[in-house]
Amino acid sequence: MSKNSLSLIEKILYRVEKPGRYVGGEHNQVVKDWNSTDLKWCLIFPDIYDIGQANLGLAMLYQILNDQGDILAERSFAPWLDMEEQMREHQIPLFSLESKQALSAFDILGFTLPYESIYTNVLNILNLSDIPLLSSERDETFPLIVAGGHACFNPEPIAQFFDAFIIGEGEEVILDLSKVYQDWKKSALSKADLLMMLAQIPGVYVPSLYEVEYHEDGTISSLGPKQDGVPKKVTKRIVAQLPPHPTKFLVPNVGIVHNRMAIEIMRGCTRGCRFCHAGMVNRPVRQRSVEEIIPVIEESVSSTGYEEVGLLSLSSSDHTQILDLTKEVYNNFHEDKLSINLPSLRIASFSLELMDNLKDLKPGGGFTLAPEAATERMRAVINKPLDDEEFYQTVTQIFQKGWRSIKLYYMIGLPTETMEDVEAILQAGIKVKQIGKRIIGGSVKVHLGIASLIPKPHTPFQWLSVEKPDSIQEKLDLLKVGTRKAGIKMSYNIPDSTLLESWLSRGDRRLANVIKSAWEKGAKFDAWGERDNLQIWRAAFEENQLDPEFYSYRQRDLDEILPWDLINIGVSKKFLRRDFEWSQIGRTRQDCRESCFQCGILDSFGDIRPPETIGYWGCP
Amino acid sequence: MNDQNDKPYRVRVRYSKTGNLRFIGHIDTHALFERALRRTKLPVRYTQGFNKRIRLNLASALPLGFISSAEMLDFWLNEPVDAAELRERFQNALPAEIRVLDLYPIENSLPSLQASLLSSDYLISLPEELNENDFIEDFENLLAQDSIPLTRKEKTVDVKPLIFDYTFTKDDSPNLNLKIKLSSTPSGNLRPDDLLKLLEIDPADCMIERIALNFETEEETEKENG
Repeated sequence: MSKNSLSLIEKILYRVEKPGRYVGGEHNQVVKDWNSTDLKWCLIFPDIYDIGQANLGLAMLYQILNDQGDILAERSFAPWLDMEEQMREHQIPLFSLESKQALSAFDILGFTLPYESIYTNVLNILNLSDIPLLSSERDETFPLIVAGGHACFNPEPIAQFFDAFIIGEGEEVILDLSKVYQDWKKSALSKADLLMMLAQIPGVYVPSLYEVEYHEDGTISSLGPKQDGVPKKVTKRIVAQLPPHPTKFLVPNVGIVHNRMAIEIMRGCTRGCRFCHAGMVNRPVRQRSVEEIIPVIEESVSSTGYEEVGLLSLSSSDHTQILDLTKEVYNNFHEDKLSINLPSLRIASFSLELMDNLKDLKPGGGFTLAPEAATERMRAVINKPLDDEEFYQTVTQIFQKGWRSIKLYYMIGLPTETMEDVEAILQAGIKVKQIGKRIIGGSVKVHLGIASLIPKPHTPFQWLSVEKPDSIQEKLDLLKVGTRKAGIKMSYNIPDSTLLESWLSRGDRRLANVIKSAWEKGAKFDAWGERDNLQIWRAAFEENQLDPEFYSYRQRDLDEILPWDLINIGVSKKFLRRDFEWSQIGRTRQDCRESCFQCGILDSFGDIRPPETIGYWGCP
Repeated sequence: MNDQNDKPYRVRVRYSKTGNLRFIGHIDTHALFERALRRTKLPVRYTQGFNKRIRLNLASALPLGFISSAEMLDFWLNEPVDAAELRERFQNALPAEIRVLDLYPIENSLPSLQASLLSSDYLISLPEELNENDFIEDFENLLAQDSIPLTRKEKTVDVKPLIFDYTFTKDDSPNLNLKIKLSSTPSGNLRPDDLLKLLEIDPADCMIERIALNFETEEETEKENG
């Protein structure tokens, strides 16, 4: 019979929306005896569970760490506003899902930072854990605070909050870092000693060991190590071959975004789209073979019971065995009623053949294509060439196969863009609709998704100014009026909603104070599109006498020292610069599997490249 | 595959749901059972149509926050499997906080669990700091009223006819327990937490356990209480 001995946490959970976010207990969760290991990691995705739990990087690191006998890894996420309110009211520190330990009880907190708009959540999480925000305020008694993920390729805006960053792929370096920490823990050395030891690990960036100086105009005059024995630059880590894929995915007990198994079939991309951060920072290309993928799916289905699998990569059509792979996946799993999701297909009739192989993907929903630009000139500027004829042919075939709805993704605010280029997006939408009408009749649906360019660090567009809201608005208005008239659905980001990203993504170290002020004024969950947050951020910039437009609306000089120059992604600045110059004259580079353009990746990593028979790299 | 042409084999399960899983709602619990059944690799039967889903039927939504020792569900297989083996494989695929209490084949012709559910028994463990005599008096006064209007989702209904029996017990526990039978039919469903709110008790301060589901067919009801 039940006894009424409810804990404080249980009582709180009764009062919050979707309490299943905070209780853990998922199938395949790993709970080790708290006292059984000498190193305790807490892996944190600083957004709510619903967004973070599906993250594949988190799943990989969770499995790698927990596979070690002397390490345990648990998870934590940002509490939603109602939960935070209850926790603060009852003075409950943020806890891990597995053993409900306060985060301050762990040795290392590892944050995953895939995008910039969760920086304020990091500060909120540290604060909810009674941990000082700045690295310099934390001594040995506090956990080591580290971060990794795509946003860390420019770690500078958050450099003061973290003790160390993992740059690049985490699978191997996370164990190197663990080993160094374990050695240090056994010694009587100080935190300063630990940081120096960490800085020796390839791929680990310890920001407090570097200093930055500025010109009067706010640009950087110098950056580099403060002392000897610290590398001048930090080169990202990569794995020469993709390691064994995790199969024991946690199966959430509550509905989350992307509630499915995610299988990474390929990493990196050879296409070289000039706006694409992922395409530049994830080189070189490495893929998993059909022979490796099929057993991974099989084991994952057995261990999770999931009914859907996503085959992930930056460009599925470029996997050299993709036709075989789709056939094999169908043959092996259609009796299991497994639905298969194959995103990121290129615009080519070849993609339809792939869809045909996955016969269960019946034309029910929409077909998504991403031409990104609508004129051949514009597509040459962004280096995403596409023949108009092939585009409309593909569209025709999609409708002929029975799809009734097509979503087309385009970008605006691209360099050298004119109103004619924008008008061409509208005309492309209209033409697609006409083709659809001819083939399937009046029920055809065309949907334009419009994004505006935010130039990202480590891309050929890293020197560009963001286009100002007035002219973006003008372009959006043209599209809005035109699509309404033509009966085409259109979705877009309001210009204001991308401002924060444009300030933070190319920011420098001085932004730490701005981020801290913004958090103090109540900014959090900035990715959730709360309009008021923007006012907070403007005030935070003002308070710290910094101009947000310096970061967004400024064309950088090609010779300028950029805050992220401390980080070497393998692709050289020289290459990016030449590629930027080529974009200005509309010169394209073909897929670099055809011929090498000396991006620098082989200079940085050629020595660990496995022979072709063992591991595929796209480089010729 | 000829599976869906054969005669289905219907299985009924009585199970408990405790611990952290009480914070998992009805729809999520349904998905949890679907995935667990897929992990068993048993020849489970799917629904027909475009979106094939496992054929699975839960008797009654257990409100978020409640634990239970008396939940029921039916699922179907394409071919018979020995009940002991079935029980073991199903249990092994489930989280520790769901225990299979009973599992047996039943006739396909029997009505669905939802259609034959009449009432639920709950055991409410009241807050320790409660003044017990005052509470019992309030409770009995409430039940003595000619009608008990309850407003939920902007609809007011008289719930007096939905309250069947109750007893107060103390056992060895420091707090008072209320055992109560409430109607659980589509036309009249009363949740014990709503009743507690009428008495100005915060359900968050109580532990509420469903201890029985009572069905129309006599033999099923016997089985429950058996």
